[in-house]
Amino acid sequence: MPEDPALTLALPKGRVMQEALRLLRAAGMRLELAGAERALRFDAGDATLIVMRNADVPTYVELGVADAGVVGKDVLAEAGSTLYEPVDLGIAACRLSLIRPRGATGAMARVASKYPRTAADYLRRKGSTAEVVKLAGNVELACLSGLADAVVDVVQTGETLKANDLEEVDVILESSARFVVNRAALKLKAEHLRPLIAALRDLTGD
Amino acid sequence: MTGAPPDGTRFVPPELAQARTVALERLNRLYASWGYAPVEVPALERYDPEHPRSEQSFKLSDRDSGVLALRSDFTPALAQLVRASFPEAAAGDAGALRLRYSGTVWHAIHPELARTREFTQVGIELIGVSHARADAELIHLARESVRAVGLAPRVEVGNPGFVRALFELAAVPEERRGTLADAIDRKDRSDIRALVDELELSGPAAAALAEVPDLYGGSEVLDDARRLAPWPQARAEIDRLEGVVAQFEDDSELLLDLGMARRLAYYTGVTFRAYTFDFGQPLLGGGRYDGALLPHAAGFSIGLERLLSALPAPPPASAPRVVATDDVAARRLRAAGIAVLRASDADRAEALAEARARGVPFLVHDGRVEELTAGEPGELAALAALLGEGEEGAAGA
Repeated sequence: MPEDPALTLALPKGRVMQEALRLLRAAGMRLELAGAERALRFDAGDATLIVMRNADVPTYVELGVADAGVVGKDVLAEAGSTLYEPVDLGIAACRLSLIRPRGATGAMARVASKYPRTAADYLRRKGSTAEVVKLAGNVELACLSGLADAVVDVVQTGETLKANDLEEVDVILESSARFVVNRAALKLKAEHLRPLIAALRDLTGD
Repeated sequence: MTGAPPDGTRFVPPELAQARTVALERLNRLYASWGYAPVEVPALERYDPEHPRSEQSFKLSDRDSGVLALRSDFTPALAQLVRASFPEAAAGDAGALRLRYSGTVWHAIHPELARTREFTQVGIELIGVSHARADAELIHLARESVRAVGLAPRVEVGNPGFVRALFELAAVPEERRGTLADAIDRKDRSDIRALVDELELSGPAAAALAEVPDLYGGSEVLDDARRLAPWPQARAEIDRLEGVVAQFEDDSELLLDLGMARRLAYYTGVTFRAYTFDFGQPLLGGGRYDGALLPHAAGFSIGLERLLSALPAPPPASAPRVVATDDVAARRLRAAGIAVLRASDADRAEALAEARARGVPFLVHDGRVEELTAGEPGELAALAALLGEGEEGAAGA
């Protein structure tokens, strides 16, 4: 019987997964999807891959179900993660920003976000007493519909904002995808993870 | 009343409670064999905003408008006990004081990621001394604690004093040290570089900060660290770690990490955490905190529930083997360590039905044992012998 791969990696569904796979392969890992694109967990050769929503990656890695994973800094900040983040992969770059209707200047009473913790921390730092409302998606709509007078959300190009007459008021966090590692795994599986980290750093110039 | 306990607390079923008892017994036996004396401290404390975990404590109002807190950590309470009851040891004038404890602590946190709000801490403190032998004793016992419950230990050992020395050399402003230490502890070079730029730190020590996270591995790490940070203040901290490692004949289970920078303001010397294979979370953590609560003190604590969750599922709690109507015979068996249920009815037929219904294999009635369903090989004979069947005048238990 073939042995299980030495590493389990948690990857977020979608485009980031494709870019992460490209980097991991370039770093020397043999990863074959072999028509298993729709599977949630599969043996890909040098690693078992488990595929999930990006917000779940920190949980899987923190608890050690996955040894390592790829996830955005925005998600890590929101999760209050203390995972090892040894490589900034430089992919999926975006900003987490405070967004308001163009020209709005008054005090904020309610701020909507998919990132309630990060939003609340930011508002507290700025001395704002606004309440934070957690939403699941399309946060801009909260501003447009009057649900909230500001939102905290991801900005990639700013095109969506322009089209909806919204304005990026302040950048809270510059985000990019990180290679994250479980604390026990980095130490106990160093012989697999250390060379991988070194190779990823060479590729990304980190 | 609803059936479920509050969030972040739980009921413990018999098989798990049994596994807890066994683990606690083994740990206590280990610590006792090294001369650690048991102490107890109240679960109710006076609320103190200066307490290291004050933000995580459950608060209660006392009768006279005072505020109490549920115990959130043993170490501060233990330090109070030591100052009150062992002033000489507290001052470092009485040699080493070794104490152990176990009990419940409560954290008023949002229960998530396998962190509960009510859990059990078991730990030891070595007070009144500060040297490599004391640090090594604790690391050894950390290792043995993991082994005592049947797991293979790996202990990571660091010295946050090294990071602190670099902070001094690089003149990192006091108010940003926590943030920078967190980035180092996460091995997040990207954040470290961003902070170094933001704080406009310059010079060789500042440049070394982003390399600190990679100083983990075997004893070769010590030389790597000396090359990275050749300044006397930093070297003294590397030497301190080396002095502790040198106490071990076999250091193969030790993993050094000079990038450990957790709770930099609290820990002053060597810190450590224990892991085991195929389990992603630390089983215990501790270190030296001279001056934080007592002039000289170090210790560690185990999260008992976490430790138990690293073990294979416990076997079903052992059911009693005997139902007895005969109290004298039952007393003999219990004295021999056999669990005996007292029959609800002294009548043989009733007791027999009770034993069958409960799946208990043996019935003892009128001084005699009967096998109802097959017991372990030889079990019937052993029970009969204990009851002195066939010999008149057997010694009473």
